Amino acid sequence: MRWLIRRVTRKGKGNVAYEEDIHYGDVLSVGRGSDQAIFIPDLRVALEHARITAVGVGRYKIESLILAGIRVNGDITYATTAGPGAAVEIGTTRIQMLEPPADFDAGVEVSSIDKAEQKAVAEAAAKPTMLAQTWLARRGPAWLAFSLIAILFFAVPLGAHFSSSWRGTLPGLPIPSQDAWQSGKLQDAHHFFGSDCTQCHEKPFRWVRDEACAECHAATPAHADPVKFNLPELGNARCAHCHRDHNGADGLIVRDQILCSECHQGLKERTGGSSLLGNVSDFGLDHPQFKVDLPAWTADGKYAPVRTLLGTPGLQERSGLKFPHAAHVDPKGVKSPNGNKVLECDSCHRADAGGAGMQPVEFDTMCQECHALTFDVTEPERQVPHAKVPEIIFTLDEFYARRALEGGVRDVTSPAIVQQRRRPGQALTRQEQFEALAWAREKSRQVAETLFTGSACTVCHAVSPGREAGDPWRVAPVRVAGQWYGKASFTHASHTTMVCADCHDASTSKASADLLIPGIANCQQCHGGEHAKDKVPTTCIGCHGYHESDQLILAELQQRAKAAAQPPGVAP
Amino acid sequence: MHDSFLTHARKRWLWASLVLLSGALLAYAWHDPIGPANGGTWLGYTLGTIGALLIVWLMLFGVRKRTYANRVGSLRGWLSAHVYLGTALILVALLHSGFQFGWNLHTLALVLMLLVIFSGFFGVFAYLRYPALMTRNRDSASRQAMLEEIADIDQNALALADGIDRRIHAIVLRSIENTRLGGGVWAQLTAHDSSDLALAQARQMLEKREVEGNDAAKLSTREMPTMFAMVDFLAGNADDKQSEALRKLIDLLSRKKSLAGRVARDIQLQSLMEIWLYFHVPLSFALLAALSAHIIVVFFYW
Repeated sequence: MRWLIRRVTRKGKGNVAYEEDIHYGDVLSVGRGSDQAIFIPDLRVALEHARITAVGVGRYKIESLILAGIRVNGDITYATTAGPGAAVEIGTTRIQMLEPPADFDAGVEVSSIDKAEQKAVAEAAAKPTMLAQTWLARRGPAWLAFSLIAILFFAVPLGAHFSSSWRGTLPGLPIPSQDAWQSGKLQDAHHFFGSDCTQCHEKPFRWVRDEACAECHAATPAHADPVKFNLPELGNARCAHCHRDHNGADGLIVRDQILCSECHQGLKERTGGSSLLGNVSDFGLDHPQFKVDLPAWTADGKYAPVRTLLGTPGLQERSGLKFPHAAHVDPKGVKSPNGNKVLECDSCHRADAGGAGMQPVEFDTMCQECHALTFDVTEPERQVPHAKVPEIIFTLDEFYARRALEGGVRDVTSPAIVQQRRRPGQALTRQEQFEALAWAREKSRQVAETLFTGSACTVCHAVSPGREAGDPWRVAPVRVAGQWYGKASFTHASHTTMVCADCHDASTSKASADLLIPGIANCQQCHGGEHAKDKVPTTCIGCHGYHESDQLILAELQQRAKAAAQPPGVAP
Repeated sequence: MHDSFLTHARKRWLWASLVLLSGALLAYAWHDPIGPANGGTWLGYTLGTIGALLIVWLMLFGVRKRTYANRVGSLRGWLSAHVYLGTALILVALLHSGFQFGWNLHTLALVLMLLVIFSGFFGVFAYLRYPALMTRNRDSASRQAMLEEIADIDQNALALADGIDRRIHAIVLRSIENTRLGGGVWAQLTAHDSSDLALAQARQMLEKREVEGNDAAKLSTREMPTMFAMVDFLAGNADDKQSEALRKLIDLLSRKKSLAGRVARDIQLQSLMEIWLYFHVPLSFALLAALSAHIIVVFFYW
């Protein structure tokens, strides 16, 4: 087998000299040994470093004879088969496989690697020794992260602000929507329009306007009349002064007492006496005694309760009823036609449907069993109706007219015609009828007088003679159950864990004039102010509302205030 | 004591941060806003402004670091302030948020800020710990000096090995080929030595040769790091002269191995000192975007 060994030597700049040798044999040995076909005098080369075998035309088997291996086409290997063009690098020598030239079976070209190339190869082969030489970078990722955040969390939601179609599409995509801009959860009631921020945030970089709230909350009452109390700030207050959304499902109604207390200081002085409200800053520490709506009536019988400070000396309830609680709630019971009966509070005081207050006391079901309205011993089952004076008179008139006309009345003081028993079919003469009915009228009047002034009505009621004809008796109006705390919203429903006696001292009350409505000290046993640690923290809106005016609508007030602030002649 | 960036100027910036923090905490405790505490109260706006200005100023450290001609305070002073005020920022931002969190841009900004700060904490740790370790590891030589010494040893070892036996020469040659320091990110961080891979290849080669009955298979041990192989040779068929040369060779290669280990450790420490910056810097730019968006958005939907 004929090998061509072409040696390339570089002499100076660009001068290249070729020297060709012929080698006979299958194997081309490479090494530092002097017996090697390709002799490389380099300490980095083993004596017998490698061998190259021609295995076919243009196919070369390259084997390393040492453990270090050899570098073929840049990779360390021990044995490989390669075609023309493959380069073996040993130390500073490169052996390149050739396409066998004419008249040769195989060929290699031996050249030395120049220093610049050696350095470049060494550098290329060297591994990075600093992070800056690796794929890691700071500038690129910084730009990328900046852009990603800016696009996903700013540009995209901003697009949704201006485009309703984006608003519709974005929530279905796995990228941030306008929700990403929400600083907190919306109030539950606002969820149904919450996907459209512009419902409230009408213009960018502008506060939410009250008009946006009034779109829905048009009928919300105002707090108080700014003109009457000379408090213009009542009309200027923005809705958002108190109501800030995006504070969670329950966050829109603020309960902080400072909201009220910053204004409810010195109100009497500031309003020039228009307001009668005392200073208040904390329910547990600084709250005036309660005022109650004490029952009272005008001269013409119209109910007109009087706001009265609890604890006023000589304070008496005027319910219009005579009722000693102590006698009725005696634990030993009271005598009734059906035996001894123990009465409880709820025998008479039943909560109304909403649970806030009590239903009115009912005579028929609660009192009449004992306090029967009988009027004639001969017919003890007959009773007059309750509470309807004309009907009582009619009932008595009719009852005694029947008795007189039927006859057989056992009353020695009555006329003979009334005492006479009638035979069936016996008719009375006009004169006899007249006489009998005259007795009946007189009897009815007597019995009515007894009922109204003696045996029945006056047991519980104050009765006075009527002032005009056809109105013989006047019974004082009664009010037992009702709203006592007219300016607060107390509810029994949230106090069902208590017993009645915890607040209402009925067991020792001997007269209905005793006011059994408790004052603030009673509430303060359990309720403290906002910062109470050992009591139920209770802020102003626990009992009071803000939007409580019964005449003024807030939205109108705000419009009025804005119109006043607008210079005249300028269209809003 | 050495004045580190933590003790710079008698801990001036530590005190500044503590004053800032106690002021913020006192204000937060005293403040009783309408509704829940959040960024929308006057204190929220105040703390938010302080926080935003701090973030921008902290990021300017990257600029200050590059302007060597800058005379506004020493770089160490800047670093000291950067570290202490950056740490204080955690509480300033949390108080600004009123501890309201959600799946939104605003909390994203907070989370990014915390990630930046905590990656910075690693940087503080690295700057405090690794330079001393590096100095000790280098043993008053530079990395370049160690690398040059390795190259010299390689040359000497080859010459020495050539005088002993061709197989020893081959072994030394392989050892040189396998000594490649550095590598990818992971290799640098773990001081990973890729000669393991080459060793495995060598072992594979050896097994193959054993099967083929090649001369090289006479090397008895399969676990044949360079040193063992030579000791093996020594125990076998070496004459006195060869033994002497071989011992010298082993000394040389031991020295080389120790040097290579130290260079690898040097690379590792160097990369640990730098790696956190590859998180700290890009994250801080993500934070800058989130912060800007946060500020614009809260006033956009005022």
